Amino acid sequence: MNTNSKLNISQKRKRKPPKVGKVILYTFMAIVGILQLFPLLWLFDYSLLKSGNFFGDAVFQFPSPPQWDNYVKAFTQGHVLPYFFNSLLVTLVSVAITAVVSILLAYAFTRMKWKFNVLFMNIILLGMMIPIHATLLPNFIIFNQVGLLNSYWALILPYTAFNIPISMFIVSGFMETIPKTIEEAAVIDGCSIWGILFKIILPITRPAIATISVVNFINCWNEFIMAYTFITLDKFKTLPFSIIQFVGQYSSNYGAQFAVMSLIAIPSIIIYLIFTDEINKGLMSGSVKG
Amino acid sequence: MNKLMSDKKTIFLLVAPGFLILVSMIIFPIGMSIYYGFTDWGGIGDYNFIGFENFKNILFSDEIFRTSLINALLLTVATILIQHPIAIFLSILITHCGRWEKVLRTILFIPAIISVVVTAKLWASIYNPQYGLLNNILDSIGLSSLKQDWLGNPDLAIWSVIIVTIWQGFGYAFLLYYAGLKGVPDELYEAAKIDGANPFQLYTKVVIPLLAPMMRVAIIIAVISCLKQMEVVYLMTNGGPGNSTQFLGNYLYQTAFSYAKYGYGNAISVLFVIVVLIITVVLNKVLKRDVGEY
Repeated sequence: MNTNSKLNISQKRKRKPPKVGKVILYTFMAIVGILQLFPLLWLFDYSLLKSGNFFGDAVFQFPSPPQWDNYVKAFTQGHVLPYFFNSLLVTLVSVAITAVVSILLAYAFTRMKWKFNVLFMNIILLGMMIPIHATLLPNFIIFNQVGLLNSYWALILPYTAFNIPISMFIVSGFMETIPKTIEEAAVIDGCSIWGILFKIILPITRPAIATISVVNFINCWNEFIMAYTFITLDKFKTLPFSIIQFVGQYSSNYGAQFAVMSLIAIPSIIIYLIFTDEINKGLMSGSVKG
Repeated sequence: MNKLMSDKKTIFLLVAPGFLILVSMIIFPIGMSIYYGFTDWGGIGDYNFIGFENFKNILFSDEIFRTSLINALLLTVATILIQHPIAIFLSILITHCGRWEKVLRTILFIPAIISVVVTAKLWASIYNPQYGLLNNILDSIGLSSLKQDWLGNPDLAIWSVIIVTIWQGFGYAFLLYYAGLKGVPDELYEAAKIDGANPFQLYTKVVIPLLAPMMRVAIIIAVISCLKQMEVVYLMTNGGPGNSTQFLGNYLYQTAFSYAKYGYGNAISVLFVIVVLIITVVLNKVLKRDVGEY
């Protein structure tokens, strides 16, 4: 293995001698990359330390032996497993509803001919501009009155609402590129709108649906303030609560606190590494529209 | 075809679900906020209508409201003057990194996809005066005299918070400028080289001016997201010490839920929405000059 890679490098060198500029560039970028990730590396490092070792002066400490026990504690005391399940449920349902609703809306805006489409489009734009924090107080009262506080719906409904506008724009943008001739042919063959939508448009729109779903997944997964406002019962709490729980109850158990943070950060990072392109594409089209 | 595409029942079924959710979760609650903004409700019990009293107080005599706006402005300026130049510089460098381009791009973006709770608590630990990374680093490079309680000092706390949001949002700014650079056609680089431009001129005279449309988008996004800043502050300082890191989102939350001034909190909420809407519309108008196609 080692000799192999050495061989490769020497072969490359023969073909193209490295320039000084490139070396400086790569060194500089490597430093930037490490600096950017440094807080996270510190987090993972300290998540394996004994709480007592937190007060050493060293910037990095080699965990010897690594305290995997911190993670075990995080799992049990931080309620990671039930909260993880709640997060997953709320996120998946929100993502699914957002996808369906956005496709329907996008089809109405790109294909159907109706009088109020400008008015409705403006309402959607308005929905995109309103900060979520401005809906926290009234929604708390509304949910309280209709008995939705402390339920999965108290999260699913607002999550869906705030993801719809951007998702709709991304899907619409994609639908506009689909030639209408396909649908015209289908209509002549006696296909209904719903037939067209589900049998023809849906399969073609799949890439856009993948994009919005991944971005919405990350959004819902990481959402904190609405969950913190609308949920007080353990039964419905989502993953970000684990940290809050910890800071309050076991505030001196630093190692386990750091382990909880790592446990919450890792799924997002993995999802991002798998779907890098979808997420980048989704964020770009979302932000350029907004 | 036309008849099918303007069928009222189909349109209703397509539009209704989305609208029901949007209106009931966003539009209607804002309406309710406006209603409660005109009252002195404390959250429970009876309340009176007090006209524009809340709004008058907020706009003309509420110091904290003013601090929140100033902090948002400070954060915006810092973001645009610190984060964006670095993002532009790194996105230019990264396009020269060949097969490492994708890896580096991914690394730079990772902080942006981590839950804000983790980001906030992680940085609170970094700033921690007892075991925090920052003080440890200062110790190890011989600058122990600079050691601080970074979040406890009212003069410094806002900058500590600003650094966190710059770190967290860096990926988005970077991604925007990177996409902007990728949109500049190769022929322009060739043409500039043929005309004898050195690499420095190539970027300052040709490429960066062409990034102007992206800068417009990036600046609008920066302003809006700085104004909407709340979670990081809520989790790190809760606006303190002494409201020195207060932001509108956090302030309205605190007013309503901690001080039980629900009516007043809703009035802040309404003004918050109005400020965001006005700034969004104005920025879009002002910055929308067409910058030319390539």
